[in-house]
Amino acid sequence: MNATRAERTASALILTGLFAIVTAAGVAWATSQEPPASGFVWKDGAEVYAKVCAFCHEAKVGPTIRGRGLDPAYIRFVVRHGNRAMPAFRTAEIDDESLAEVAEYVSK
Amino acid sequence: MASKFIALPKGVSEKSFTAAIGEFRRIVGQDSVLVTAEQLAPYIKTMMPVSDADHTPSASLLATTVEQIQKIVRICNKYKVPIWMISTGRNFGYGSAAPAERGQVVLDLKRMNRILEVDPDLCFALVEPGVTYKQLYDYIQEHKYPLWLSCPAPSAIAGPTGNTLDRGVGYTPYGEHFLFACGMEVVLANGEVLRTGMGSLPKSNTWQVFKWGYGPYLDGIFTQSNYGIVTKFGFWLMPAPPAFKPFVIQYEQEDDIVEIVETIRPLRISGVIPNAVVIAHALYEAPTKARRSDYMTGPGTITDEAVRRIMKDHKLGAWNVYAALYGTQEQIDVNWKIVTEAFGKSGKAKILTDQEAGDDPAFQYRAALMRGDMTLKEFSLYNWRGGGGSMWFAPVSQARGSETLKQMAMTKRILGKYGLDYSGEFIVGMRDMHHIVDVLYDRTDPAVVKAAYQCFDELLTEFSNEGYGTYRVNTAFMDKVAHTYGPVQRHVHKTLKKALDPNGILAPGKSGIR
Ligand SMILES: Cc1cc2nc3c(=O)[nH]c(=O)nc-3n(C[C@H](O)[C@H](O)[C@H](O)COP(=O)(O)OP(=O)(O)OC[C@H]3O[C@@H](n4cnc5c(N)ncnc54)[C@H](O)[C@@H]3O)c2cc1C
Repeated sequence: MNATRAERTASALILTGLFAIVTAAGVAWATSQEPPASGFVWKDGAEVYAKVCAFCHEAKVGPTIRGRGLDPAYIRFVVRHGNRAMPAFRTAEIDDESLAEVAEYVSK
Repeated sequence: MASKFIALPKGVSEKSFTAAIGEFRRIVGQDSVLVTAEQLAPYIKTMMPVSDADHTPSASLLATTVEQIQKIVRICNKYKVPIWMISTGRNFGYGSAAPAERGQVVLDLKRMNRILEVDPDLCFALVEPGVTYKQLYDYIQEHKYPLWLSCPAPSAIAGPTGNTLDRGVGYTPYGEHFLFACGMEVVLANGEVLRTGMGSLPKSNTWQVFKWGYGPYLDGIFTQSNYGIVTKFGFWLMPAPPAFKPFVIQYEQEDDIVEIVETIRPLRISGVIPNAVVIAHALYEAPTKARRSDYMTGPGTITDEAVRRIMKDHKLGAWNVYAALYGTQEQIDVNWKIVTEAFGKSGKAKILTDQEAGDDPAFQYRAALMRGDMTLKEFSLYNWRGGGGSMWFAPVSQARGSETLKQMAMTKRILGKYGLDYSGEFIVGMRDMHHIVDVLYDRTDPAVVKAAYQCFDELLTEFSNEGYGTYRVNTAFMDKVAHTYGPVQRHVHKTLKKALDPNGILAPGKSGIR
């Protein structure tokens, strides 16, 4: 359904090429660093958990969710739809592949 | 035949919309145009007391480059399809990631998330809209730059571009975020790319160091507005101070707010206390350590007596003043003496530092925010009433004790009429206070939802009758707030809108501007 990480990185590289053309065309600005070719992508489910979920679910804000054998399908549903005050997370933030990984990570 | 779409933009036929979607797909790719109910579900969840149907998008476009956005606006103009821009899309309590009006197409820039530059000497950053505070925080740590961020309370998942464009606030000395914005790149409705200030000059290297450029200053018109799509955002970062001393000052009585504000104002204006101080009511802090149901059951506003018990059990003041000192140890020592003397005069204040309060969960997250650290602890607020309903009521007040007392009393009275609690705080600006009240309610109970809506409406009406304007509001009440600022301002906003976006394709309805 969504582009894989490799595809996204590849398209980011192509688009960076386009970006270079446009900047050359007149709106260039001088930076002391070369802008990176691609944006942020999640490494794995553990990283998503540590950098998003843990801020509530390991901080006594939301309930404990790890190690409870929660069904990964249920986790994926709650992440996409939210649950009461828990926000919903979009594919733009947590892509389907990373969501599947974090759901596995949490359920174990 | 049932529609292929879960919603359609106002005045756009299904046939026309289908054609527009086809063209969007050619620009950003098949997978980056979301239209199904399942794909759009995360955009529909809000915390507002209105039907989700009122804010259901027709589609979402996951653009990643300026060129794609330039092409997208061309298609929008061709088919008169409106887009609603989000950067990180975490505008909780103000409309979340949902559009202002049903059927608008969300332009979701979360995947446009490159950190373009961080300059550790001049202390600035240039980022794309999808960069989160957390991403930038990790980048700064990795590079071991001695720089601090200033973040809103949901720091871990929100981002600097969206927060600043909505004129949000943080808690460090750089807490009034738009003051520290420096240079934007904006795609206009006609597809042109504007770089504000010094960025318009070819080869310029001063875009992120000098805000004003030449001629009328333009950055402001792209905040809380719908005049352009911001695709790059520059802002200043604070050099990490050699020493940092967070503290909290507690007061026992609600009307002590007068003394608090009168004491803080000169310290804040003179810069002795440099950061955006928070004066938090007991009920704003209580959810980090207490459960409402232990003190109050059944419907209605929590009683003052219950609040006093909570204060006693959980070591809270009626007001809890969080502030910090920054600098060398010598500077902090001098300023600490000034602060303690000023607050010590009346004998009412209880002053606590890391030493006494370091283990307290409320103190911990406040201290984290005052040094720009990552936290979501303030989400504890939503465990207070439960049910996921929240609207920020955000009137501006003078930094004058009598005014804050009056605003608190008005807010409490109106909330009380509808059975809601006063979860309020004052964020001390340079001369103003953002009076911030989280109107918490159970969104799963239709009667409570109705009451919350009426309550919020009445708060806005009564406050504007007294001459108090709100600085920011959720998408269900934008027209109402725009109205309170009078016809001339609205006319100027509309005139600019017509000039910059004659087809009204960019976020119609934002701040009541169409
Ligand atoms: C518990 C809690 C505490 C909070 N505390 C604070 C706080 O301390 N301070 C504070 O300011 N807020 C606070 N908020 C509100 C909100 O969550 C933050 O302001 C958050 O930073 C906004 O979301 P965002 O950064 O993802 O911005 P976004 O949602 O991406 O953007 C916000 C708005 O800006 C406009 N916009 C965004 N991107 C663009 C663009 N590229 N071009 C043009 N217009 C654009 C849109 O109108 C959009 O709706 C809090 C919320 C909660 C739930």
